[in-house]
Amino acid sequence: MKPVINPKLCKGCNICVYICPKKCYTKGTDISEMGYFNAVVSFPEKCYNHNREGKLICELCVLSCPDQAISWHPETEEEKKK
Amino acid sequence: MDIFEFYRKDRWPHVFCPGCGNGTVMNCFFRAFNEAGLSLDNTVFVGGIGCSSRVPLYINSDALHTTHGRAIAFATGLKLAKPGLKVVVFTGDGDLGAIGGNHFINGCRRNVDMTVICINNNIYGMTGGQASITTPHDFQSTTTPYGNKEYPFDLAEIAVAAGANYVARWTTRQVHELTKSMKSALQKRGFALVEVVSQCPTNFGRRNKMADPSQMLEWFKSNTVRRDKAKSAELDHVDLNLAGQITVGEFVDRNRECYEELIGVEKHG
Repeated sequence: MKPVINPKLCKGCNICVYICPKKCYTKGTDISEMGYFNAVVSFPEKCYNHNREGKLICELCVLSCPDQAISWHPETEEEKKK
Repeated sequence: MDIFEFYRKDRWPHVFCPGCGNGTVMNCFFRAFNEAGLSLDNTVFVGGIGCSSRVPLYINSDALHTTHGRAIAFATGLKLAKPGLKVVVFTGDGDLGAIGGNHFINGCRRNVDMTVICINNNIYGMTGGQASITTPHDFQSTTTPYGNKEYPFDLAEIAVAAGANYVARWTTRQVHELTKSMKSALQKRGFALVEVVSQCPTNFGRRNKMADPSQMLEWFKSNTVRRDKAKSAELDHVDLNLAGQITVGEFVDRNRECYEELIGVEKHG
């Protein structure tokens, strides 16, 4: 599974950038449609839950995100090989 | 359950500032509620006045938005009138400790069966950042521009002394421990308090050189002491001053008789 940020909910607080132990996120440079600098999932293949199904571990970003913007999505075949 | 079946999706994005700890508490509460196996149809959420007391209004269930500081008083009445309902109170430090201090102490003393989640952001955030009873010593706010000369209340220790059945304190940095404590509090019979020390980057952090929410989380991380791992001498030193160190952990877990059992409300209710 990979984390995906919903641009309609993210308020750009960058808590995910700070809290991720594997540094998957980076600070954003583009302004979103809501007017915030959203964080970007730059390295989803570094995540603990990369290629993991069923019960997930860590989940610090999902639990800490104050705007409920991060959710888990299944990976495509190409992303699985990374 | 999906998180947006628990919360009202049509109200999103919520009103909290970017980086506010209330959203983190909402995530953890959703997990804990799910794991405890409770049903939304059988639960009532009570809130007072303040940023944190807006959380019940986002939950897809019946909620009671009450007057300032009286959330525990309303919840006591609700529980005695309908003993079958599960009552959860969301409240802040100003609501629970300052204006509603006496309701809080007497709620603990009576040991009414309810779960109280206190989001302690160390300041009156909604009204513009005035010093509250939990503002740490020597920290700045709108009303204390030269540093707060008073020492803060320790809400968790007050609840222990007043006789609550379950008391725990965590910060928004320790999300997994917080979720576990919330689950135990929801399953506990009697007064259960979970105090969450949360960040307020807009009004507290900005005046104390921690304008970025991650700086506040780093402050929590480096300044917390686990209650079960700290030495007793250390605990005496940290008890009343959050500025030095924040004691976190489970403070008490006991099974005193609760108020409904004592007055026999369940027979008549």
